[in-house]
Parts: sequence; structure tokens; C-alpha cells
Amino acid sequence: MAGKSLPVVNPVDREYWAAAAKGELRLQKCRACGVLQFFPRAVCTGCLGSDLEWVPVSGKGKVHTFSLCRVPRNRAFMDEVPICVAEVELEEGVRMVTRIIGDNRDQVTLGAPVTVTFMETEDPDIKLPVFELA
Amino acid sequence: MLRKKVCLVGYGSTEYSRKSHRPLLSYYAEAMQNAMAQTGITKKEINGFSMVTQASPDYSPYVAEQLGLELDWVLNGDCGGAGAVCAIRRAADAIEAGYLDVAFIVAGNAFDKNVAHQRVLEYQRANYVDVYGYGGPNTLFALVQRRHMEEYGTTLEQIGKIAVSQRFNAGPNPQALLRAPMTIEDYLNSRLISDPIRLFDCVMPCSGGECVVVASEERARQITDKPVYLVTDAEKIGFQASNMLPDKTVTGMSVVGEHLFSEMSRDNIDLLAIYDDYPIAVMMQLEDLGYCAKGQGGPFVDEHDLTFGGDFPVNTGGGEISVGQAGLAGGMLHVVEALRQLRGEAGERQVKAAETALVTGIGWLSYARNLNTTAALILERRS
Repeated sequence: MAGKSLPVVNPVDREYWAAAAKGELRLQKCRACGVLQFFPRAVCTGCLGSDLEWVPVSGKGKVHTFSLCRVPRNRAFMDEVPICVAEVELEEGVRMVTRIIGDNRDQVTLGAPVTVTFMETEDPDIKLPVFELA
Repeated sequence: MLRKKVCLVGYGSTEYSRKSHRPLLSYYAEAMQNAMAQTGITKKEINGFSMVTQASPDYSPYVAEQLGLELDWVLNGDCGGAGAVCAIRRAADAIEAGYLDVAFIVAGNAFDKNVAHQRVLEYQRANYVDVYGYGGPNTLFALVQRRHMEEYGTTLEQIGKIAVSQRFNAGPNPQALLRAPMTIEDYLNSRLISDPIRLFDCVMPCSGGECVVVASEERARQITDKPVYLVTDAEKIGFQASNMLPDKTVTGMSVVGEHLFSEMSRDNIDLLAIYDDYPIAVMMQLEDLGYCAKGQGGPFVDEHDLTFGGDFPVNTGGGEISVGQAGLAGGMLHVVEALRQLRGEAGERQVKAAETALVTGIGWLSYARNLNTTAALILERRS
């Protein structure tokens, strides 16, 4: 049986995953127009420029929406259901698709404050940014 | 912009089945054969071909070669669930430019082991969504539906009414795989897949194919005495793509609707064929198309009868959630149902005096947003 899905790290997002492995959440910011963006891209979504830097963010935010998923697309995740897939709005004004972990994940509500943490995966070099209720 | 001289002159459908290992191309071919039988068009007269696909064994010119087609125009339609509508738009552009006069546009699905699902890279989905154990589109629509319910007070009963009405519409449709009557209790009691999305919100993948024939007005008049004209059409791709705080409940259909209804009153539409991979998608499109204010989709469906005999007929053949979703033929199905209705060929589910239809297509769910592709056509029967 195939394992749990893992990112295929590429030159565009290598820095993101390297930071996550060290327990840091870093996002791309455009030096030209100041746009902070997620997910990582080759160019700025504000101006199509390439002058991007990686900046640390607080890892604090609020739940924008969520779903308790009972049937993961990749059935290797079945041992973790229900999985709380969520979109978290970071303090810095960017939304991320993520997961909310913890035994209290069935108490998640819209607007609930959350904090980032980093989850081990089957690949020792990859840690996933996930969130917990604050 | 109003189209002047482009018509939809016929269609062909195949039978649908839960799971068939027939070659995918045999579904394309069968849908085309049925369209040829209906229109009398011979193979030599087909000078444009589009295959709407995200998972075909070959590229469209190779498929055209396998079908023995000599062409002046070919297109691989890649706008996902909006692909059928977008391919018809591209064909209409080419016909207006005079490059061709008869285009066959096909789509379908089979559980064909030779079909390489060419998931190109799907970088953002693969690296930033799938890794969390999401449930595919079921979860992505759950994230949208949760916002709609919390922001606007939309209820499961209102969303479920769309599914129940469409199942009623599927009753007399022999093509539909799900025809048994369904009550709102059946809907509410169906098992949770990715809450608030439950089983009867989800389309069922299946095998089948659809074909639509687009022609110049001149050829249309030779081919059929029931020409259906393309009146106007529009699309929006990548709505809110650069907005890091997008509104999850507003889609690109809001822009499409503005284009369409600057040409024609929405009150002149006799029936709607609204892409329905999920009932919440239908509700949001009705709002974005301006049939009611944003967030008022729930009360709107409460106040209207969405069945083929009702005051606001939507998805009169049952839609994808009842017929089954044969890959990107799901988008073509809506065009074909509109043609059946406008040509007076819908049998027991015929909408009386149906002259004008709106057909939408939506697709490619975008990261933390909603619909990446949105497109629509207005069709009108003219004698």
C-alpha cells in the first residue's frame, strides 16, 4: 500500500520545507511590491516579479473554515480520521490550507485562535506545518 | 458580446455505467456516431475536433488520427468541468473567423487502464493540500459550504432541496444512474464524507460519453430544422487568484453573469443547466449569476420549484449528481440536456415552451479559494 502523501520538494519551495523542518514558518514576500503570499511560487502574485525573499511569520491565526474529513482521498490516511482539514488566516493576512490536530479538534469553530506546530511525517526531512487550538 | 452565426446542431450520448473497462476512445466514438446519426453529418464533413479531458490516453491530434479525422481545427480542452463550455466558445470563435464550419466536441470517462491520468504536476494541490489527508473535492467543497452556512445561515435542508429536486428530475431520464426517489430525510441521513458534505452531495464517477456538434449558421440551416443558436457566452479564469484573503463564497460566475446579462435579461431564460458537482455549487452560482443576492441562495431555493414542471427549472435531467459524472462529460451533459429541452426532445421531463437556456461549467478548484474556471453559454432555439 502506498504511504501517506508527501510534498515533492522543488527549487521554488525548498526553503519553505527546510524552515518547517527546523520548526519555523517562513513565507515568501515580494521585495518590489511588498506582497506576502502563500503557497510558494516562482513569482509574486502581485506584480509577477521574481524578487522574492523568505520572511518568518508569527504562526498565529484564526480558523477561517474547516471540515472533519472521514474519507481521505489517499486511503493511507484512514488511520487518522476524522482529519480536521482547515484554512487558517494568519495574523499577517494570508490564508493557508492545513490541518488542526489535537484531541479537541472536534471543538474547532470558525474564528477560533490557533497556533502553528510541526508534525512529523514518514520522511524524517519533512515536517508539516499544522495548527492547534490556542 | 453577442454571437451572430454560430449554432449547436446536434448531440450524441452514450449509455452510462458504474464502471466499464471499455477503451475511453470507444465512448468518444459512440457519442460521435450518435451525433452523426442525429445530424446526418458524415465523417468527411467534420473539420473541427475538440476533446475535453484531463485524463486521456493521447493528445487530441493523436486521438483525431486514431479516429481518422482530417481537420482544420483541433483543441485539447483543459478547463476542467468548465471545459465543455470553454471548448464550445473556442469552436464558436474559430467558426466566426471562418476557419471551419462543423466541430465535434467530445468528452467522456472510462475506467480504462491505458488512460494515463496526466496529473501534470498539480503542484499546489500535491504539496500543500494532499499532504494533510484531505478528501479531494469533497473536502474542498466542505470548506466552502461551511463558510456559506456560517456566514449566511444557509441550512442543510435548503442545500438538500437542490439534490432532492434534481433526483426527482432524474426519474424519467433513462440515462441517469440514480433515479430512485429521494426525500430530504434520505439526504440528511446520508453518511458524512467530509462534513458538512455528505454522500448525497457528491457526484458518482462513472463511465460514459457525450458529444456536441457546433456549426456555422449556414451549415446549421442545411443540417437541422431545429437550430439552437449560441446567443452569448463568457468565462472567468483564476478569479481572486492573487488575493491572499479571497471570499470563499463568491465565484468567477459573478463576472460571467455580468457579461451574459448585459446582453439579455435573466428573466428571459426558460431553464438552467447549472454545473452540479455539489448542490452548494449550484446555489452559489445562482447567487453569483444574480438570481438572488449573495447569501440568499437558501431562501431562493425555498421559494422556487426547481423541477422540470416548476417555476424555475434547474438541471431538468437530474444533473451530474443523479446521472453520474463521466469525467469531463459532466460538463457536456449540461449542454446536451439544454439541447434536448430546446429541441423538444426531453420526453416526459420536457419543459413547456422552452426556447432559451443558460448552461454553466465550473472546474479546477483553486487553493484556498473556490472555482478556478467558470464559464457559461446562453442558448436559444430559433425557427
